[in-house]
Amino acid sequence: MASLGADLFGADPAADPLAWYGGDAEGDLFSASSPAIADAWRGFVAALSRQGGGQLGPVQAQIDRHVAELGIAFRLTGDEQERSWPLGPVPIVIGASEWRGIAAGLVQRAELLETIVADIYGPQRLVREGHLPAAMVSGSPHFARRMVGLNPPRHHLQVLAVDLARGPTGEWRVLADRVRFAIGIGYALENRLAISRATGGALSEMGARRQSDFFAALRAGIAADCQRSEPRVALLTAGRFNQSYPEQAYLARHLGFSLVEGRDLVVRDGRLFVRTIAGLKRIDALWRWINTHSIDPLNFDTRSRIGVPGLLSACESGQLSVANWMGGGVVESRAMSAFIPRLCRELRGEPLLLPNAATWWCGGPAERDHVLEHLDDLVLSSSFRTPVALLPDGATRQGSSLTAEERVRLREAMGRRAMDYTAQEIIRVSTTPCLVGNRLEPRGFTLRAFLARNASGAWTVLPGGLGRISQSGELRTWLMGEGDLSADVCIVDPVATAGDQPFPRLTLSVPEEAPAIRRGAGLLPSQAADNLFWFGRYAERCQQVARAARTLLQCAGDLQADPGASGTVQRLSQLLYRWGAVSSTYGPALDIAAAALGDTGAGSSVASLEERMRSLALLLRDRLSRDSWRAISRPHAPLVPGNAESLIAAAEAAIERGAAVQRLIADTLSRADAWRFLDVGLCLERASLICQAVNVLVPAEPSADDLGALLDLADAEALYISRYMTRPFAAPVIDVVLLDPEQPRGAIFQTRRLVQHMEALPQLRHSGRADPPLRMARQLHARIEALEAEHVTPRVIDELVDSLGGLSDTIARRFFLQQDVLRRRGTEALLG
Amino acid sequence: MRYRVRQDSRLQYRTGVTDARLNLRLRPVTWPGQVVRDFTMELDVPPTERTEGPGPYLSHVTTLRYSGRLSSLRIVTEFTAELSPLPVPDITPPVAELRQMASEARTLGPLAPAAYLYGASMTPPDEAIGAWAAPDLLPDTPVLEAARALAMRIHREFAYAPGTTTSRTLPAEAFAAKAGVCQDFAHVMIVALRMHGIPAGYVSGYLRTLPPAGRARLVGADAMHAWAAVWCGPGAGWIGIDPTNDSLAREDHIVLGMGRDYADVTPVNGVFVGGGKQTTDFRVDVVPVDETMAEIAPPASASARRTG
Repeated sequence: MASLGADLFGADPAADPLAWYGGDAEGDLFSASSPAIADAWRGFVAALSRQGGGQLGPVQAQIDRHVAELGIAFRLTGDEQERSWPLGPVPIVIGASEWRGIAAGLVQRAELLETIVADIYGPQRLVREGHLPAAMVSGSPHFARRMVGLNPPRHHLQVLAVDLARGPTGEWRVLADRVRFAIGIGYALENRLAISRATGGALSEMGARRQSDFFAALRAGIAADCQRSEPRVALLTAGRFNQSYPEQAYLARHLGFSLVEGRDLVVRDGRLFVRTIAGLKRIDALWRWINTHSIDPLNFDTRSRIGVPGLLSACESGQLSVANWMGGGVVESRAMSAFIPRLCRELRGEPLLLPNAATWWCGGPAERDHVLEHLDDLVLSSSFRTPVALLPDGATRQGSSLTAEERVRLREAMGRRAMDYTAQEIIRVSTTPCLVGNRLEPRGFTLRAFLARNASGAWTVLPGGLGRISQSGELRTWLMGEGDLSADVCIVDPVATAGDQPFPRLTLSVPEEAPAIRRGAGLLPSQAADNLFWFGRYAERCQQVARAARTLLQCAGDLQADPGASGTVQRLSQLLYRWGAVSSTYGPALDIAAAALGDTGAGSSVASLEERMRSLALLLRDRLSRDSWRAISRPHAPLVPGNAESLIAAAEAAIERGAAVQRLIADTLSRADAWRFLDVGLCLERASLICQAVNVLVPAEPSADDLGALLDLADAEALYISRYMTRPFAAPVIDVVLLDPEQPRGAIFQTRRLVQHMEALPQLRHSGRADPPLRMARQLHARIEALEAEHVTPRVIDELVDSLGGLSDTIARRFFLQQDVLRRRGTEALLG
Repeated sequence: MRYRVRQDSRLQYRTGVTDARLNLRLRPVTWPGQVVRDFTMELDVPPTERTEGPGPYLSHVTTLRYSGRLSSLRIVTEFTAELSPLPVPDITPPVAELRQMASEARTLGPLAPAAYLYGASMTPPDEAIGAWAAPDLLPDTPVLEAARALAMRIHREFAYAPGTTTSRTLPAEAFAAKAGVCQDFAHVMIVALRMHGIPAGYVSGYLRTLPPAGRARLVGADAMHAWAAVWCGPGAGWIGIDPTNDSLAREDHIVLGMGRDYADVTPVNGVFVGGGKQTTDFRVDVVPVDETMAEIAPPASASARRTG
């Protein structure tokens, strides 16, 4: 009689943690849900609880781990470092029938917004006939006058995000339209992935609708208007300091779009191209994550450094689709919401299915008077999110918070410029179960829904979205605020339950994401090649610095037994100095080794190089596997200086880390051009470092310690001993580390690989000859092949190091972006 | 009044540049009371691509692209402008009424008052300038009278001081220093009017430099000039006011274009690849057509008017 206990003492909290949940009967999503949906909810939470060993608390840590493994991160404005993404384990669950109404309202809204945007940039009938005040349009900083008359191939809007709130009586309302950027769409995708990985089959047991069809439709929709049959689509990002860069990189990778920045692109003869290692390649469509005003410094803001000069000419010639078309952001202003209900009736002859928050734009005299009279019941905001009197940050304020003196100032400011102000009713939001510690507690939430056009141009709605759960109550921002939590949003088809069966049966709907769509092969932007090349160089240098530091520590430890090693200690310190790993060779060996490992002041210490590798990895995130990404970004134990044991351990850990990263990346890049650039950087660095080591470590009369240290750096001790069975002598050691073609860390091994790489990379072959990098690599290799160990002099080595530097420069000139920055000049002297 | 206008602009790049793309806004637009004829533009280096068309505000834009190396470019524009200024209205709407008219106008075109009501990149809203202008912009004052009073105050309170500002100086700085050139004065005036809900635009153009009494007109001393235009209601439309000279812009002012501020009507700007420093050099001649060449004297120093 198990049920007896439950009757007497209440439900077992482990079996049903929602039994004691205290949500409001109407104003809480769970408490107000239909029995079937409530069961779905209970089933999921019970599964979570089972996973936590009868408790919900431990589940959060599991989710956090999956989030970290997926590499989901974001920035708050002003953040230097990325933050890990806050995701709660309990999804927001919405029944399919309720969702059907929301989705219909979203599609209606998307179609309406398209019509409005098309009119503003086309015939402007709405303004002429007085349905839309001209000053409401021109006030938006996202109104792009340059775009008037410049029509898109088919649609202005291609992807759209809409913020929704559920009111305390269950009605859904639109809070804001996000037309410029669908920020959060990638996070929604990643949230689903993290929850589905962390909870096993719980999502599919609940019957959550899958989301992969939506992303396939989005992808096909963006590519649909292109003229070529095999269009190339790129995602244009503002760069890694952008708030949602991690999301953009993830989306590019997931959808198989090239991730590009403005400087990767160039416009020629009315067409857009990406600079790749094989020359210019055409781009047919862009998904832009850059503001209209920054996207083309020739046609919009000349100060923009992230745009593409002349991009609009590719649009004008009809050779480029852009999602969303430039200028659509004009309908984003808060003031626009005041006109949406009327415009819906005017343009579509029907009421809005999903109401907005009631809004008054003060540009009209009646609206202004209404707002001034009812300030206490309204939220006051800047109409166009620009700084205005009393709202210097362009944000919102509760009308009731205004002091008497501020009200006088507001009245005066509205007397001069009423159009700068918009007021909205105060929106109260529903709550949803949120894990707080070990318990579920009601917390306010909003939902960002996403829409995209499919290949035939029809709007589709993502079944789900980005749930945002607020600790602060402020949910009007673009992304997450301090202390906010995100949640997966599940649209659930209730399973026909038989009798009193508490949980839905297993359904065939599988929430696991479909595999990422395969990317178009062979497109390696010059900048990505550049980044890979330097990643290879840094990774190798990092390894060698760690090796040299380890050897230094070992030699210094042997000093008591072998005072003759003091010269070697000195030379190893000099080598670290020459490599830029330490800023001085003064002081005990222990300190020098510690600096080489941990001093971020020196440009080539292990710590500095690992930081540079992490920065580059951010830029390469769309190409790296999650494992490599994790290996690079994983934090490691802090350095304890002054202790030789711990320093040696730290050096060895760095060597292992470096090797793991190199191996992982080389594996995941397959054997395509991307891998070649990584390996070219690695080979160049390895050859250059070992040559420098020969010159520094091998004086005129080298000791066995000197030569041993050199063998150690080249990881060639075993080879030497097996080959010569004796203590190190200069000529054979030099032969092993420089000239032996079978020694994988030797110089000649690197130059041979460099020749192979240059042969395999695309050739431009002007005037029928091999490209300069290939010619130089061949010369260099031939030069080393002709050397004899006995005749290797410091001068010969210096020449080799110079030639390697020359080859590096030549590769950069041929394959990478021009170092010259794009200059923008106005007519400084033309006036005054 | 009929003028022959000639502008000779030279751009030089010390080390040469590649992939240069230029926007030239040197061709005058159609403007009430101004007819332009015989416009020509000569380029000493033929561009790879060239387009012509209207700019987003009231301007004509010529775009040039040079795919090869460019070390210098000479642009000579010439045209004849015939000015027959419209009569100045005796009465204009009071400031309070004009505000309402501006927000009710049902147009978004390049001359729409709504287009000139809000801050732009070089004319952001500025509370201090707004407060400074308030005594002149009382609700019951006719707008033209108010704007002229403002221009007079700029003329009186600001020092004309070439070299103290650059083409990128924001009005707040010129306002704090109470000094600048024509561009700064026009920007301050525009910001002041907009802070009070009055549409105001930035006009780029040329000014005929009047000679001192008894002297022949100066040649080559003329510069590009800038002033403000104020929207005075649907009847009177845009009226140009030159705060640098405390005058209306009429038979001495030839309009090139109008925008929200300098950034919308910059005469020449662009982007290029290369480390070369760009230097610009220019000459402007604004010669009344009925004068003969014989009357043109060498440049003299004194000028009754301020330009630039």
